[in-house]
Amino acid sequence: MSCQEFWKRLSKPPGEESNLDPEHRAHLAGCPACSAHMARQRELAAGLKLVAEHFSELRAPARVEGRLVRAFRAQNSIAAPMGRGRSMVAAGWAAAAVLLLAVAMLLSGSRQPAPLRAAGPAVAELATDQEMAAADADGFIPLPNAERLEPNDDVNMVRMEVPRSTIEELGITVSADRGTDRVEADVLLGSDGLARAVRFLD
Amino acid sequence: MMPGPLDSDEELLLRIRSGDEEAFLGVYRRRQGAIYRFVLHMSGSATVAEDITQEVFLALLRSECGYDPDRGTLSGYLFGIARKLVLRQVERGRVDVPLETDSEDVALPELAVIHDPLGDLTHRERLEALRRAVTTLPRRYREVVVLCDLEEVDYAEAAVALNCPIGTVRSRLHRARALLLEKLNRERSANPVKELKPARILI
Repeated sequence: MSCQEFWKRLSKPPGEESNLDPEHRAHLAGCPACSAHMARQRELAAGLKLVAEHFSELRAPARVEGRLVRAFRAQNSIAAPMGRGRSMVAAGWAAAAVLLLAVAMLLSGSRQPAPLRAAGPAVAELATDQEMAAADADGFIPLPNAERLEPNDDVNMVRMEVPRSTIEELGITVSADRGTDRVEADVLLGSDGLARAVRFLD
Repeated sequence: MMPGPLDSDEELLLRIRSGDEEAFLGVYRRRQGAIYRFVLHMSGSATVAEDITQEVFLALLRSECGYDPDRGTLSGYLFGIARKLVLRQVERGRVDVPLETDSEDVALPELAVIHDPLGDLTHRERLEALRRAVTTLPRRYREVVVLCDLEEVDYAEAAVALNCPIGTVRSRLHRARALLLEKLNRERSANPVKELKPARILI
């Protein structure tokens, strides 16, 4: 067996010599270069194993599990009996909320929920007067079939981009030729992870 | 019903599809540690590791999650998603920083067991040097070392995660180990361990 063959046929990380087959052992015994290289490889493998052991108990913080459970419940609780059209709207918002909870985290690099911003003058540019009347002081429009948020409720806000056609499902007028455009929106999630209200940004 | 250790990932996935929260938690608790550590080693950032771990498991909730048992294990699939997300973060410049050992939220484990302080110091220094060497490997080599050597993922699963043939996993691993040895040798030459001589005691 040549040195090249020796290393090519050694498929696993070098462990104890007793784990090698007789051919490999015979080569090692007669080749000081491979023997020295093997010793270094073993030292490296042992070191990597120790590093792995020291990291082995490392886990994601518990808050990640909490967020995922809320997202899971949000997704599954939407299947409550509603009219078909409304349930699809709600399901769409919930799915978007699930997606955005993660996207928002990734983009912001922050573990804290983003603070609520003061309502800007350009909020909900597409909303009619009637829809704006339903919006709260921060410009959030309650979602259909969603529970009302009380002033002391614990909320998270995520920012997302939605197609303008999604806005239409909330009863807001959208011009047909811009239905595929995307618009930024802030979605308020209740402590159960369900989407409760939305406001559109320009 | 809380899943047991014998429930396969595939069985749990079916239960997740029917809204079984315990099954979702079962998969999460079984797989999250490895995913979190993989991202931590790859990114050097606990914040990124946390965010990507969350995103990986959120992907399981999506109806179009795309996992195909015929193409490999769920674990390989999850590592694959995590890897793609890490690469995306790299493009945005959020990662490839040194491990945040000073940060409060990283909580990296101590690398020494103190019984023989002098021996442990050398031991700890060596492990630190090795950990540093791993984090400074080029990404394609680092990912294969983290998967195969640190997380003990088998080559087939690593091939799924890295989206490459098994032969490529092997050759990259071979090259990665050679690079690690080179780095460690360079470090040793630069900082040779001083030989300790017995102290003369004068009374």
